[in-house]
Amino acid sequence: MKVYIPDDSAAVSMGANRVAAAFATQPGIQVVRTSSRGAFFLEPLVEVDTPTGRAAYPNVTPASVPGLLRKKPTPISRIPFLAKQTRYTFANAGVTEPLSVEQYGFAALARAREMTPQQILDEVKKANLRGRGGAAFPAGVKWQTTADAPGQPKYIVANADEGDAGTYSDRMILEGDPYRLIEGMRIAGLAVGARQGFIYLRSEYPAALKKIRAAIARATEFGILGQDIFDLQVVVGAGAYICGEETALLESIEGKRGMVRFKPPFPAVEGLWGKPTVINNVITFATIPDIILRGAAWHASLGTATSKGTMPLQLAGQIRYAGLVEVPFGVTLEDVIYDFGGGLPRGCRFKAVQVGGPLGSIFPKNLLNTPICFDAFARAGGILGHGGIVVYDDQTDLVALARHLMEFTAAESCGKCTPCRIGSTRAKEILEAILDGDGTDADIALLNELGDTMKLGSLCALGGLAPMPVLTAMQYFGKEFRRRT
Amino acid sequence: MLTTLASVLDRCVASPPNILAALQAVQAAFGYVPIESVPAIAAKLGVTDSDVRGVLSFYHDLRTEKPGRHIIRFCLGDSCRATHCERTLAALEKKLGCRLGETSRDGRFTLEKVYCLGNCALSPNMMIGEELYARLTPKSAAAALENHP
Repeated sequence: MKVYIPDDSAAVSMGANRVAAAFATQPGIQVVRTSSRGAFFLEPLVEVDTPTGRAAYPNVTPASVPGLLRKKPTPISRIPFLAKQTRYTFANAGVTEPLSVEQYGFAALARAREMTPQQILDEVKKANLRGRGGAAFPAGVKWQTTADAPGQPKYIVANADEGDAGTYSDRMILEGDPYRLIEGMRIAGLAVGARQGFIYLRSEYPAALKKIRAAIARATEFGILGQDIFDLQVVVGAGAYICGEETALLESIEGKRGMVRFKPPFPAVEGLWGKPTVINNVITFATIPDIILRGAAWHASLGTATSKGTMPLQLAGQIRYAGLVEVPFGVTLEDVIYDFGGGLPRGCRFKAVQVGGPLGSIFPKNLLNTPICFDAFARAGGILGHGGIVVYDDQTDLVALARHLMEFTAAESCGKCTPCRIGSTRAKEILEAILDGDGTDADIALLNELGDTMKLGSLCALGGLAPMPVLTAMQYFGKEFRRRT
Repeated sequence: MLTTLASVLDRCVASPPNILAALQAVQAAFGYVPIESVPAIAAKLGVTDSDVRGVLSFYHDLRTEKPGRHIIRFCLGDSCRATHCERTLAALEKKLGCRLGETSRDGRFTLEKVYCLGNCALSPNMMIGEELYARLTPKSAAAALENHP
């Protein structure tokens, strides 16, 4: 009898390896290591086959293994957190063995090979796929620009520097469905005429590094990758958040300080080593196979008027059912936090939510009706970013949080432009003074002014967005800041 | 030491030179990048000392002092903050007798901060070596240390 146990590092952090070892000693049991479905509050989630599909045992411990299979498992279709989702990019999550080429299939690559490069480009453009890394720039426009750019060779780069705190969807693809990323990059190579690619992976993900390296080796054996076909290498980062910014990332691949470049020229025209380069987030590439297989019209049929397809949202912070939620754009933040996330844990009360990582705005309860849509978030004064959602309870000191976020920016600023380099340090100092009770009304006015300077004057999104959580915290929770002055 | 450094650097020759990759290779071999090795690295790569020092000081992962036997990366990311990781951090600092950025007196642990380990659904988190510890409490964090003698 087959028993499916996730090999995902989140599941392993909850004891999945110990559970697998306990099953391995049971007679007649074959342990199959899969990825995680992303319902992390249920990990380790152990699954078995039934006539009606997979069924699961949640929160298994090594001690509960003997005799567990005599109990009735819960069909996956009866777990609301999973059943209510619209899984495409994460369709394989928790189902397949991450390194099985046979199970993955590479059907989209086969289809793409029958298309001309321009047909692939047109399909991605018609699908209206917007980048999932944070900037939401249309991927098809980037690809077409690189395809039309004169330089040679051209490069495909995957941004796997998933630095936004509160996000883990890239990690799940890298560990759980690495061939989806490889296939997306490979198709991009066909579309723009590139035969070399790089995955820039953050060093905080050692398990993802092992998986993606193993996947590249396996794909090479199967003739999907290779020096004469499409050469794919992994470059490991060194703990710098700014290297998630595309031009800093390219500098880092070149072995330099991760300093942001002036744009234009854009990487699509002058990227890695000055050559035309497609650089997209992991999830953007991972969305490509479905667009090729199901068609641009399918993708464009999901979502809102301007945000098409599905978005893998990542629930974190003080939330009861934390995990990955893939849904079409358009559902509200409230739906995600309460319908999927089950609200806050017992005894905790909602205070605020931060969407889009450490540069995302702090929203109060009355903005929970904001739809999950790049433009709706922009209109509400925030960002959807990479889809991280961190819920804060009423024990959270927002002044301390604001100071923490500015300290983060001060530590992570590359230092190239003055508003970000100096502004983040000064803002941190002002917030420290407020926190210590030494702040004045003039400090709050100064903080607002400084925030505007950073927003308008910074070279990249780090400096440009860093003031947003602080400014929105002051806007919606002004009393907390004033009380101390 | 120098001969070993030379053998590490022999594998780092690239055109154009890649300073970060060379520093990562040196750190992988020795656990840190001894500051006195900078001229040798620069000479081997054909760049200046200041080019090397510039990269060395930019990246948080790169260190110029010998770390403890095990490196603890304690997450201060937003989700870990939201789940009040500071309580666990305070307990851990007390237990180790050192603060963030320092090494315990017995040389067993170096305690470092990290902004996000990608396990935000199970916050608070820390990583010891490559082992990830989730849903930390002051008690479970102290217990985790025992797995790393």
